[in-house]
This record gives sequence, C-alpha cells and structure tokens, in this order.
Amino acid sequence: MKTEELLINMGPVHPSTHGVLRFKLTMDGEIIKKCEIVMGYLHRGTEKLGEMKTYMQFIPYTDRLDYISAFPNNYAYVKAVEELAGIEVPLRAEYIRVLTLELNRIVNHLVMLGSLLLDLGASTMIMYGFRERENALQLFEMLCGARMTFNYIKPGGVREDLPDGFIPKLNEFIKDMEKRIDDYEQLISGNEIFMGRMKNIGVMSAEDAINYGMSGPSLRGHGVNYDIRKIEPYSVYPDLDFKACVRHECDSFARYMVRIDEMRESLHILRQVVDAMPPAKPVSQAKYGIAPMTGAPTAVSTYFPRIFTPPVGEVYSRIEAPKGELGFYIVSDGSIKPYRIKIRSPSFCNLTAIPKMVEGLMIPDLIAAFGTIDVVLGDVDR
Amino acid sequence: MNPAEEIKQLFPDSVVSVGHQTNKPLAIIKKEGLLKIAEKVKEMGFDNLSVITGIDYGDRFEVVYNFLSYTKKQNLVLKVVLGHENPEVDSLASVWKVADWLERETYDLVGIKFRGHPNLKRILLPDGWIGHPLRKDYDMSVDQFVTVGEDGEDIVSTDGSNLLRR
Repeated sequence: MKTEELLINMGPVHPSTHGVLRFKLTMDGEIIKKCEIVMGYLHRGTEKLGEMKTYMQFIPYTDRLDYISAFPNNYAYVKAVEELAGIEVPLRAEYIRVLTLELNRIVNHLVMLGSLLLDLGASTMIMYGFRERENALQLFEMLCGARMTFNYIKPGGVREDLPDGFIPKLNEFIKDMEKRIDDYEQLISGNEIFMGRMKNIGVMSAEDAINYGMSGPSLRGHGVNYDIRKIEPYSVYPDLDFKACVRHECDSFARYMVRIDEMRESLHILRQVVDAMPPAKPVSQAKYGIAPMTGAPTAVSTYFPRIFTPPVGEVYSRIEAPKGELGFYIVSDGSIKPYRIKIRSPSFCNLTAIPKMVEGLMIPDLIAAFGTIDVVLGDVDR
Repeated sequence: MNPAEEIKQLFPDSVVSVGHQTNKPLAIIKKEGLLKIAEKVKEMGFDNLSVITGIDYGDRFEVVYNFLSYTKKQNLVLKVVLGHENPEVDSLASVWKVADWLERETYDLVGIKFRGHPNLKRILLPDGWIGHPLRKDYDMSVDQFVTVGEDGEDIVSTDGSNLLRR
C-alpha cells in the first residue's frame, strides 16, 4: 500500500502550547518524523526596549518575560546591574529576595503541574494548583501590591519592607503547603494513567540534554547534579541548607518528580529564611552614579538614585530561575542607559531539545514531553 | 591557571588577548581559530554553552560566547571581533546543538552570519523582515506590516498594502 508523509500544523493557538507557539509536524501515520518549531508570535523586542530605557525603567519589562515567575526575572536583571556597578545590598533585603524567589518557585511549579495535567486531560490538578497559588499571590499582593508583575526588587535592595502580618501568613502558607504537596503526590504520582503517559516518554540522555542547552529542573530530571544556587552561589544561598533535586530516569516522569521535590525543598528554604531573617535596622549611605535623589536609605534598601551611571564594562550574570538558567548580559558604555541587554531565557534554550526529544513519538506524547519542559512563551519570544 | 590562559598557551596564534569580563575569565580570539578552539573548550569540560551575544559597536561587531562547566564549576568567555561590513563567523552548531537557535537569534536580531550553520534563517521575526533591529543603525521610524499569505508564508510590507482586502 502506498503511504505518504503528512504535514500537520499544531498551533499557534492550541490549548496545550501554553501561549502562541506553532509546531510543524511531519507525520508518518501516527509517528512524528520531524518536528519544526515556529515562534516569535509574542516577540515584543524587549532587548531593543532595554537600550532605550534607563537602568531602573527596564525593571518592569523584565516582569513581562516569564510572567508566571516574575520575581526571579526582576532579581536576575537587578543582580546583573549590581554586579556591574558593585552595589551593596543590606542583608535583610537579601533574605527578603530569597523569600520571594522561593515562593515564586512554588507558584511556578504549581502552574506547571496544573497545566501539565490539564494538557493530559485531567482537570483536577489545575483547580488545586490555582487554589494554593491564590494564597501565594495574596502574599505577593501584601508585599508589593501586585499579583503577577511585581517590579519589587531594585538595585540596592527591595522596594519596601515586609508588611505587618506577613510572616504569620507565610507560616500558615508553608504549613498548608506541606500537606498539599502530599495530596498532589497521592493524586498524581501513583496514578496508572499518568504513569503510562509519562514514563519512558521524551527520553534523552544527559549528554544530549546538556548539549541541547537544557537547564534547571528539566535538566536535573536527566541525572545531572547541578544547581546554579550551588555551583555559582549568589545572595544568601550559601548560608542556607538545601539540596539540588536530581532524578536519573531521563524521562517525562523524572522531570515531573523533580518539580515535586523542588517544591518541598523550597518550603525547607522558606522555613530557614523566616527563622534567620535579620531584624530591620538602617543601613549605610553609599552613593552611586550621578543624580542625587530624595529619599533616605531604609532597612531593606541602600540609598539609590533613580538615574545612575554604572562604570563602563560588561557583565553576564545568571541565576537559577524556576525554569532553568536565567541570565542577563549587560553592556554599559557609562551612560544612563544600557548599551546592550541580552536575555538568556531558560524557556528558549529548553525548547531547543523538543524536536529531538519527540522524534518517533506520537502527538499526545509531544504534549506530555512539552508540558514537562515547562515553557512560557513570553520568555521564549521576549 | 584560569581556562582563558590555558587556551592562550594551547593556541598562541589564535588568541589576541586574555582578560576578564567582570569576574569571568575572557579570551579574545581571531575568528579563523574559533571552531578549533571551541572543540578544545568542549574537551576541557565546558559542556554548557550558556549564551551567544552579538553586539553592534558602530564600527565593529562582537560575538560573545559564555560557557559554564557543570563538572568543573568554572566559567569561560570567548569573544570574536568582526568588521562592520558583512560580519561572518564560523558556526558552532556542530559542537553544541543549542548554538543552532542561539545563532539563528543572533542572525535575526543583529545580522551576523554564521558560516556552516545548518538552517540559518530568522527565528523570532517573520521571514522577509527588513533590517536587523538590534543594530544601532536600524531605522525605527519605518513601520512594517506582517500578514500570513495563503500558503503560510509571511508577507512583509512597509506601506501596509498587504493588509488591504483584495
């Protein structure tokens, strides 16, 4: 019988592409022969915009890259600016930053679990995930008044100190979340249908995964014991006790399990941060850049002008964002605006592995593998 | 000894200078030696190519490669300086698969060509887009309108004529 290959178009508007992404699939029957990814539907030219804004003005734009987890975006950019200009940060601010980063990691993984299960046809988890996410978002709202795009972390510290009643509410969240993660595991991990969809699907060796630029939890599911918080420590992570969560099965299920482990690990970090949070006391008045501005240094922020000029130079600074290695490359020519900003987004580089990963699988497996890579299109297209 | 100096010792002819990019060892190399240095860099344990950045300095282009070694926990930065007319450099897609997309992005936005790349075409912007936005001489006053043609290809115009219904 004569057969021929079929070109199937999946996306750009498809419920399981988590945004606007298009797969061009060359199919042989039900088997994917070749997968080509077309992107750019959400390209907003963030890097170009960065060249036209001052250093402070660019912070809100970073929120809109990976809008599920905006704190890490804020922090990655601010960390690069701080490294470039050699800015000191009060210890209390560093603790608050880690608090927000880890809280955001939990939020990100909740969304990822919810949407993964929804893609696979199980609608319960997204309800549960968003229920807990709501509690975390309320904490964010207490902190900075925004629920998704925060603009909270700034060079020299954070915008405001913790509000009254934040820590008790956070403790409540931590206590609640511990139980919930056990619930999720009971609901999902042992489910036979789920295991059938996930185990031995989207398999890739560790060498290949690194070669294709995967990073973060997706890479740790391939048995690579690395965590940028460990190998290139930043902020107060060296003082905290935590481990990199690694799984060795190299399949979709392993990548899913890493997320569950990481949520537990984040809770462990949060508990330490609450205990070790230094008391609020005023900090030294260091001066940066050109323009003197009003406002005194507070307990969580050094004195920092709205317009400042870092020294000429270039820096690449990376952090362990919930999705992987998030880096900002900033070139300064000594003026009030960056000369060039390059964003190394985890989603973009993780997505590189998908065409190789899904070769020889079926379309439902593509959805499962794609869900465990955890991509946000705002981060891919920038 | 830091890895940048190690490379200088191994390839004295291809390395222009060594230094630091803030806190990371940096080697500025000639573009002719990039591919063989890259292969050596990978042998040295720099398994992860983090990012490729193209920068337009008006009179020259720079392409910067940031590496991270998961095993040795070390950083390395390679930099290639290119002339402003027709910038072209060897592709690293044969050594690191992630370079495929990173180079396409650099080509798309900065307009640097990568010799030997398997599929060098635009990745974020539509095919047929005029100019490379991250170049400093990119004309932002010209509007460009994009529609999708009948067989799925992108149609770009500067006067919006493709938006009109036929």
